[in-house]
Amino acid sequence: MLHEPDLALHIEDLTVSYHSKPVLWDIDLNVPPGVLAAIVGPNGAGKTTLIKSVLGLVKPAAGHITLFGRSYREQRRLVGYVPQRASVDWDFPTTVLDVVMMGLYGQLGWLRRPGRRQREQALVALAQVGMEHYAGRQISQLSGGQQQRVFLARALVQDAALYLMDEPLAGVDATTEQAIITLLKTLRSQGKTVIVVHHDLQTVASYFDFLVLLNVRLIAQGPMSEVYTGDNLRRAYGGQIALLREAEHARA
Amino acid sequence: MIASLLASPGAVIMVVGALVGIASSLLGAFLVLRRSSMLADAISHSVLLGIVVVFLLTRDHHSPWFILGAAAVGVLTVALTELLASSKRVKIDAAIGLVFTFLFALAILLINLLARNVHIDTHAVLLGEISFVWLDTTPLAGLEVPKALLSIGAVTLINALFVTLFYKELKLATFDPGLAAALGFSPTLIFYLLLSLTSITAVTAFEAVGAILLIAFVIVPPAAGYLLTDRLWLMLLWGGLISIASSILGYLAAVALDASISGMMASVAGGFLALAFLAGPRYGLVAQELRRRRSRFDNAERMLLVHLYQHEGQPGSQEERRVAALASHLRWRPREISHLLQHSLDHGLVTRGPSDTLLLTPKGRVLAQEVLEPWRG
Amino acid sequence: MLELDFTIRTVALGAVLLGITSGVLGSFAVLRQQSLLGETLSHAALPGICLGFLLAGGRQLGPLLLGALLSGALAALLVLLFIRRSRLKTDAALGIVLSVFFAVGIVLLTYIANQDHAGQAGLDAFLFGQAAAMLPSDVALMAWITILALALVLVFWKEFKAVSFDPGYSVSLGLPVLALEVLMTLMVALAIVIGLQLVGVVLMAAMLIAPAAAARQWTKGLGSMVALAALFGAVSGLAGALVSASARGLATGPLIVIAASLLVAASLLLAPERGLLPAAWRAYRARRKLPQQRVLIDLYRLAVAHQDPGYPIEQGMLASLYGFDPGAVLAQLRRQGWIRPLSHEPTEQAHWALTEAGYRQAAELWGR
Repeated sequence: MLHEPDLALHIEDLTVSYHSKPVLWDIDLNVPPGVLAAIVGPNGAGKTTLIKSVLGLVKPAAGHITLFGRSYREQRRLVGYVPQRASVDWDFPTTVLDVVMMGLYGQLGWLRRPGRRQREQALVALAQVGMEHYAGRQISQLSGGQQQRVFLARALVQDAALYLMDEPLAGVDATTEQAIITLLKTLRSQGKTVIVVHHDLQTVASYFDFLVLLNVRLIAQGPMSEVYTGDNLRRAYGGQIALLREAEHARA
Repeated sequence: MIASLLASPGAVIMVVGALVGIASSLLGAFLVLRRSSMLADAISHSVLLGIVVVFLLTRDHHSPWFILGAAAVGVLTVALTELLASSKRVKIDAAIGLVFTFLFALAILLINLLARNVHIDTHAVLLGEISFVWLDTTPLAGLEVPKALLSIGAVTLINALFVTLFYKELKLATFDPGLAAALGFSPTLIFYLLLSLTSITAVTAFEAVGAILLIAFVIVPPAAGYLLTDRLWLMLLWGGLISIASSILGYLAAVALDASISGMMASVAGGFLALAFLAGPRYGLVAQELRRRRSRFDNAERMLLVHLYQHEGQPGSQEERRVAALASHLRWRPREISHLLQHSLDHGLVTRGPSDTLLLTPKGRVLAQEVLEPWRG
Repeated sequence: MLELDFTIRTVALGAVLLGITSGVLGSFAVLRQQSLLGETLSHAALPGICLGFLLAGGRQLGPLLLGALLSGALAALLVLLFIRRSRLKTDAALGIVLSVFFAVGIVLLTYIANQDHAGQAGLDAFLFGQAAAMLPSDVALMAWITILALALVLVFWKEFKAVSFDPGYSVSLGLPVLALEVLMTLMVALAIVIGLQLVGVVLMAAMLIAPAAAARQWTKGLGSMVALAALFGAVSGLAGALVSASARGLATGPLIVIAASLLVAASLLLAPERGLLPAAWRAYRARRKLPQQRVLIDLYRLAVAHQDPGYPIEQGMLASLYGFDPGAVLAQLRRQGWIRPLSHEPTEQAHWALTEAGYRQAAELWGR
């Protein structure tokens, strides 16, 4: 049975608590397809938890989630995930190409080994992020920006319809940041939906077209121009006024 | 009275066991808090190398050099481990596992090669033999006092002195090494002192409980204390009490079953830990489950209030429909919702209105608003 | 061809099997930072061994190893339980389970000893390992377990790789991550169980760590690491077991561990890319090259500023720039063909200019 099939992501009444403290409370979120959406909020606002709830990595206390009308379990093939860089030990003995090919393991199923076709797909994905010359490089030799790009390529190779990314622009150099945003905009122009946990209020208005303000509760959601207001930001961030003034100026 | 105590092997054994436990758990509390439990395990194995080397050099069973040798090897173990990990070629957990096993293997090899015909047999190395401690005595103040009692008693006193004198420094160095360094005393130094004392305690307790069972006394009673309290001094106290209780009960059980006394003492300590884990008033499993149910209930009640608030004044506020909607939303059974409802009614958050509707009371409305608009006031 | 007697051949085969399995399974444990879990599980195997002995009524390897495996599995579960459901941290959970299980094992061991002295001797062998006690049937059992372990790794290769590298992401791929992690943990228990007879309870943890740690220093990929770890494990096992079986009264475990540790030390020092000695050598050479590179780049920048690749530079000017006479460095650069001396009046200072090759080399250095 389809439930809100026109929405890329539909969340209803999502509540997640940790040790009897609510991390996400009664979230109602509707993300239409084809947008480049940012999830923004102060530390501890539950942004990563929201992503993890969609992916089934965290069990909610209440609520339910559908992707293009169906449960995550049924739609897994349509979703590409880019976790935070720090979630991995970069000293693992593996090459860049290897990591990207891991994105195809779900499709291969048990027992099948990645072959020439998978290699080619991986190389194409690496080219999309400008890392095709690094295919044989050990991942321990990569810079922060390069690591981020490899993670992106790993998700791209899945050719998903919806991408969920956790702080992909954190701690990368300016060139990489521009390259990533260009890539995300390209994905949007291809009709994909991209939802990103973003850390920087200064740039969010110029990079994204859909905004979700989160602070345990959903403060506001919708097109950037409507939602990115001083009022909403204040409600989300509490009293961090200086931060907000800068952000408002950045947008102007 | 002391004379009769000393004459009873059981009493002596229990006292020695309790002292080993207290001496170990005093230090162990800080090691557990500092997440160095496995480092302590490493030291308890590698001190053997110090013992063997000193023995081979002095050929004396009771040389004071043993203390020095133990402390040296303890420091060596930790220093080598940290050196290895700092090379970044090996992670810290692998470094710990590599260094102490190598030193321990060296020790066993030396024993096999050079000390086979003398009193270090590998079995005793591991297990000690606490039942014999009451035999080896020395005259003191007109009484025959077991040497082990004296040496372990001394170590217990030293450890207690150390912990008392440096209580504030230890506390700070354990919880906030950065601040400690900024305040001018070296957390690293304190840590190495702690480890040296652990090695010395290990070597002294060696004869009684063996190198490997010592680790049980270093970790288990303090860990149980950690599960029972938030206060450091109470954690130390619990560690001591559990050590004493384990010693007494362990001895009695071992005698009844005709099995290793030190092994039994350590097993009983494990039993106490299991008890703390399950039934600890604040952090035990049972307490956690009760809290979880409570918070689930509270969350649900808040949701009920919010739900009613959001649908206030709309048609269809009948109890039946509300209950059904909430049940599907929370994935609860209607019966549980009704129970919840009754609770809210009893506490004046909700009332029943005409034709079976549910209404929020002012008190209930305030709570609902608190949840929905936390930024207000 | 050396005539090895039957016992030694049995022991050698067992040791090689042990080395292979601990190398392969240990690689995953080390990469997942579960090295100390091996330490805990090997100590925790003791009560299982004793119970196996009691239930089987004697020293039969099958029940003993099964007991060890079950005891180890229970221990792993308890560690997880402590970490997930209490404030206890990983190190404390490992330490508690290690010491308490071992204590219970010792209680059972002494209980058995007091009932049956011969049995204790058999069980004591499990504390430090005893090569001489190995029977061909023991080796056969070890072989089957090895085959099982290698088969598992082969079948689930890419899944183990993905889960070891990034478990969170692997969930999003649809992999049954929890089941795979449980399987990998059980494999740790399996690896330990194989080695207990040869290496003993106390030292087995080292065999899980050392071959993998050594292999890591030489390889770029997971496959080569695992294969090399198997080789290192086999070599250590063989070396230790042979020495132990040929001399009387030397416990096997320590010898195998020492062999493996020496391999680790050698790898850490000598491996070409990661080895500490080659790295130090490379750093030294880079430091020595530095003055050359610096002068070359300075010459280049001057040439670029004057838009003349052959721009002549006076040695005295360089001397005042650096604060010392760069004659020796200039001579080195000349020997390499990067610069050439220009003719000058006898009363003037020496002049130098970049050669074509030198200009290109400097440009490349500058661009880096």
